[in-house]
Parts: sequence; structure tokens; C-alpha cells
Amino acid sequence: MPMHPLYQIKNLKYRYGQYFELDVPELTIEQGASIGFAGSNGSGKSTLLRLLAFIDVPEEGDIRFDGAVVTKNNGGSKRDVTMLLQEPYLLKRSVFENVAFGLKVRGDRKDLKGRVYGAMELVGMSPGAFARRRWHELSGGEAQRIALASRLVLRPKVLILDEPTASVDQQSARLIKEAIIECRSRFGISLIIASHDRVWLNSATDTVKRIHEGRIVGTGVENILLGPWNDEGNGLYAKRLADGQGIFVTRPPHITAAGVVSPSDIVISVLEPDGISTRNILHGIVTHMTMERDSGDILIEVDTGGLSLLSRLTPSAVQSLHLVPGKEVWALFKASAVDWY
Amino acid sequence: MDYIAQGFIRSIDLLLAGDPETYSAIFTTLRISSLSIIASLIIGIPLGFLLGYFEFPGKRQVRAVVDTLLALPTVVVGLFVYAFISRRGPCGELGLLFTIPGIAVAQTILITPIVISLTATAIESLDRRLQATLVALGARGRQILLTSLMEARYAVLVAAVTAYGRAISEVGVSMMIGGNIKWHTRTITTAIALETGKGDFAVGMALGIVLLTLALVVNSSLTLLKKRS
Repeated sequence: MPMHPLYQIKNLKYRYGQYFELDVPELTIEQGASIGFAGSNGSGKSTLLRLLAFIDVPEEGDIRFDGAVVTKNNGGSKRDVTMLLQEPYLLKRSVFENVAFGLKVRGDRKDLKGRVYGAMELVGMSPGAFARRRWHELSGGEAQRIALASRLVLRPKVLILDEPTASVDQQSARLIKEAIIECRSRFGISLIIASHDRVWLNSATDTVKRIHEGRIVGTGVENILLGPWNDEGNGLYAKRLADGQGIFVTRPPHITAAGVVSPSDIVISVLEPDGISTRNILHGIVTHMTMERDSGDILIEVDTGGLSLLSRLTPSAVQSLHLVPGKEVWALFKASAVDWY
Repeated sequence: MDYIAQGFIRSIDLLLAGDPETYSAIFTTLRISSLSIIASLIIGIPLGFLLGYFEFPGKRQVRAVVDTLLALPTVVVGLFVYAFISRRGPCGELGLLFTIPGIAVAQTILITPIVISLTATAIESLDRRLQATLVALGARGRQILLTSLMEARYAVLVAAVTAYGRAISEVGVSMMIGGNIKWHTRTITTAIALETGKGDFAVGMALGIVLLTLALVVNSSLTLLKKRS
């Protein structure tokens, strides 16, 4: 299928919070793409998603959707895009009515029951057990999946998910991933997902872009190191983690700059390294492991005193180090391996 | 103390025997309060929705006026409505003084601010995610407004029940506009005031029991609705 741009963003600006501004000079998202946005809380991910979902309107710049500039009154194309909020809101009615709502407001009642039930099954919710339940009779994960079903039933061109796994259990996170991947392959839905769960995000999307303080600061699976940085002398700058460990970098452009380290530059050791020149030796625990879809390499997520670092290893390296989640390791990278945005 | 106990026993007798005078006051109260609550909901819900949903210049001032009107003294409403509908007043030709519709008009004025204010609060208290959810699901214009009102339905019902409670229990308006005319405009509250004045505690108590029962039903439904909302 020939690719064509679904979204074309130029000089987009939008203020959020008291101090921050989302600033996206240029961004193109292709039809059928599955793109992830990673970043910390308050980085601007949700703001960008709300703009892409046409819930908010940009203050400056424009968003073209399917070739047409989106304006406040351009209602037709807006219905091709639907968004699942971070904390789902279910209408005060039955589960069935929640899932059917979007179809009803479109006046599309053909085989309503069949389609609603189909969407519920897609997210692993048995219609027999759940369709008649009231909105408040669901757990957090079930509510999130019903909210997802109410979007999937619309067969949108674009499905936008904001932190879909933030408040759900592991099983729901897996079911959500399976449902969106299946919908993408069956119906060609484009996916735009924001999440700070990098491993989940990486396994659910083709590409990941990072957002920091309202700016897209990198593409791919990268580690973002946020300032502020303290001058330690000899050209070294440092930041202390919650557990007292330090991250050392060289020459940040300013003290609050965000540094980026490629996962390929992070080496994992299962023994405490001694007598080596690498400046950053961070003690941590393996929290997640996932296979990268394109390369076949394994991404290891290590929690080091509150900072999670991703390291890219070959399957054979993982095997020889006997890495499993929960294992104590040391993550190493050179102070000079940090790039700046 | 004996006369209170005797009055209570006689009041039960009156209720059980279906005393026509007692029941006339009860039905008059129900007729008037039904008329006034219907009118106040028709006027108050749309206005309350507009006040709660939209932002406009002067909104806070309008809100302050409506909230002040919540504490409107019944005798003041009675006074103004009396002035308007008495023979010399601008609406004197309508012949509403000392009639059931006349009391209903005054009660509507009394309780509409309650409906407006509580509906506005209900709409303002809607979850902030609702609007984004409705837009994301493809709802437009009127669909968003109606669904928002539906989402606030239990809280709007609380407004209605609160207003109804005020209507059945007020005495000032019924007395001044209705004139407490036996078989015609005598309501539960005006009858209690009159019978107590006359020293006939039995009728007063019988009506008091009915009023308390109505208040109990109203309050129970309020509690139930608040739980659901």
C-alpha cells in the first residue's frame, strides 16, 4: 500500500501549564503508521495528542489532516480520529451503551449489537458478562478496555491513546496492546500512542519519538537524561539520582539541557566493575526485557535509583549474562556518550 | 401534656377515617406543589444548564444573584406577587389572587432559583474529561449538550427534589396569596397554622404527620439520588 501523509504539522505552537509551550516546527505522520511519543510527565505528550485528536486547536501553525487544514469547524474529518484519554471516562450508563455511544451519535445503528459485542470481544471483555453492567461496576483495567472498545467500534482512521497502560494491571496492558495491534492489521488503523512505559510503547509501535519540555528531541528508543547539571570541574557536570548515585556528562549546552544516550551505548555488567575508565557506573535492577521487532536485539530496562535506562543487547549477550527481570546489574556508559538537544 | 397525647390519637383517627377537610388541605398542597415544581423545572433546568455550562461576561455576578435568591424570604415573595396580582396591580385582571394558580406562580418564583443554582452546580461539577470524551467519540453541538445534561441527571434530580421540599413546606406564600380559604386554597401548612391558633391540635398534628411523611419521602429520595450521583 503506497504511504501518504496523514498528518502534516507545520510550526505548531500551543501553550500548556504556566511555563511550557509545545513547539513542533515540523512533523509528518504517514497513513497506517504506528508511532509512539515518550517523555516524562508534563513534557507535552498529552497536549500534542489532544491537538492531533482535534480536541484542542493550535494557537499558531497548522495541522493538515488527509491533506486538508483542520479548522475549528471542519467537523467531517474529525470523526476519523478518536482518542482514548489517560484516565478513561465512562458515561453514566451501561457498558453496552458506552460502547454504542459513538455509533449512535453518528446515526449508524446497522447491526449495532453485533458490532458492539465484536468490539468488546476484541478487548477481551465477554459481552455476556459485561454488556449489562453499569459504568461503576468495572475495575480500572476493565473500564480502560471498555473505553478502548468504544473507540475501536468506530473503526477510526486514527486511534490516539494517551498513557493507555498508566493505571491498569499487566493483563489489561497486554490485552490493550493485542487489541490495537490486531485492529491495525485488520482495519489499517493508524496508531498514535503516548506512554512513559517505554518497553510497552516500543513493543506496541514501530517508531518512538521523544518529547521533552514541549519539543520533539529524538527518534527511536533513546535514554533521556534531564538536568539540571552541576559543574563538578574538569569539564564534568553531574546530577544526583534519588538514591545518591551520580550521572556524569560532559559539556551540556546549558544547565537544564536534556541529554540523550543511545541504548547501544549502555553496557550491562552483572559484577560490580572496578578499575575502568567509564565515568557512569550505575547500580540497578532489571525491570523489563523485550525483543526489538526490527533488529531482533533485546532491550533491557534497568531501574537505577528512580531513573530507568534502556540498554540494547544481543540475545546471546543476554543469555550469557543470565539476565532476567529482578537481577542486580550495573549499567555503564561514558560521560562523553551523551548527545545534547 | 394530656391534650398533646389526645391530639395525636385524634389526628390518627382523622387520617384513618379520611376526614374530608384534612384531605382537602393535603390534595390542595399536592396540586399547588406539582404545578410549581413543573413550572420551575421547565424554566430552571435550561437556565441552570446555560449558567453552569457556558462562560460569559458577568457570569459570576449572575451566579451571585441566583445564589442570593436561594434565601428569598417567602413573605417577600408573597408581598411582591400580591402587589402584582391584586386588583390594583399590573396583573390584577388575571384574577390570580386567592387561587391555586396564584399560589403556584408565587411558589415558582420562590423555588426556581433553587433549580437554577443547583442545576448550574451540577453542570459545573461534571467531570472535566467528559467534554474531551464526547468530542473524541464524535458527538457534536446539541449531542454534547444533551449528553452532558444526561450525565448530570442525578444531580439535577437532587435540585428538583430540594425545590419540591421547599414548595410543600413553605407557609408565607400560601397564606398571603392563597388566603387560607377552606376547601379552596387551604394547604397543609396554612391549615396547621390556623388550627394551632384555634387550639385544635388534632387537625394540626394530623397534617403535621402528613407533612413530615412527605418530607421523609423527599429526603430519602435525596439521599438515594446523592448516592447515585
